[in-house]
Amino acid sequence: MTIGVNVKKTIANLKGSKSTMKIYAIQAQNDETKNTYEQAVKMTDEIIKDLEERLKKLEYEEPQYKGF
Amino acid sequence: MRNWIEILLRSVALFFVALVFVKIISKRNVARMTAFNLVNYLVVAIIAGLISVNVIDNVALGMVALSVWVILSFALDYLSLKSKMIHDWINGKEMVLIKDGKIMEENLKQARLTGEELLKELRSKEVFSFMDVEFAIMETTGEINFLLKSENTPITPKQIGKKVSKQTAPQTVILDGNVIDESLSNIGLNQNWLYTQLEGMGVSLDNVYIAQVDSSGDLYVDLFDDALQIPEPTVREMLYANLEKCQADLTSFSLETEDKNAKNMYALNAEKLGKVIDLLEPHLMK
Repeated sequence: MTIGVNVKKTIANLKGSKSTMKIYAIQAQNDETKNTYEQAVKMTDEIIKDLEERLKKLEYEEPQYKGF
Repeated sequence: MRNWIEILLRSVALFFVALVFVKIISKRNVARMTAFNLVNYLVVAIIAGLISVNVIDNVALGMVALSVWVILSFALDYLSLKSKMIHDWINGKEMVLIKDGKIMEENLKQARLTGEELLKELRSKEVFSFMDVEFAIMETTGEINFLLKSENTPITPKQIGKKVSKQTAPQTVILDGNVIDESLSNIGLNQNWLYTQLEGMGVSLDNVYIAQVDSSGDLYVDLFDDALQIPEPTVREMLYANLEKCQADLTSFSLETEDKNAKNMYALNAEKLGKVIDLLEPHLMK
């Protein structure tokens, strides 16, 4: 196992959490809660983007694990 | 025979007259009446009763007496709305019984209340020591309300500076095995959603006695069959745990990597995720 696989796992995990948050944002009854969830979704999105950037680099360095 | 019919007619008529009059007099809770309100009601009731059973022969005279009591009471209510002075004069004034933690004996005497009775009232509201009370007041209805000393008041999330998510009233979506469409649509859900949720729990609709959806959209059910164990919704807790795990992952990545840029990026994102967790905590943890 390399770091690349671990990063991929974390990204998948974050994406799962993000979609759960999105559901809660839609379900939320009052605007305040909705906004909180939406903000959290946005921040999580930024983190995912950063990690994907990093993953590209890792895959370039360790091409044998690409696509795992 | 004629007597019999007369009383029947009078009773039926008085029944509806009394109904209308009592509605006119007041909409207040009967248990929260002032003494004078009670007298008012009683007089109206007694006059109505007397007319009804023919003790007061002349219906017209009886109605005059009845109207006077109703109209005067209505007029006084109206006047006391307009003027504070009249209001106090009719309803009496509320009386301070405990002030700054000290019992006002004079006022107690005026309210014709013994110390024992005051303590009993406090005990009935789960205050067993008068030392805990900062301020107590006797309302015009005789009810005693009080304020606890600030160190004895129950603590609220606001006082400890903790954020909590807003709760609205839960909607009852199933009652006695019947789906209530109105409350479902109130929260923007439909029957399909409900069936999917029930299926996920492994419960059939006719086994559900009550199901409620809380403000965050989770479904809670009570079944006819109490032997069945149903899992409580834990998606929230799982989401929270998941986010914490991701944060730990990011921190360990930042420790493992040699690349300085990547180290920074991981650390920053771990911090950011921490912020997300803080943001969501009041909504996810209950």
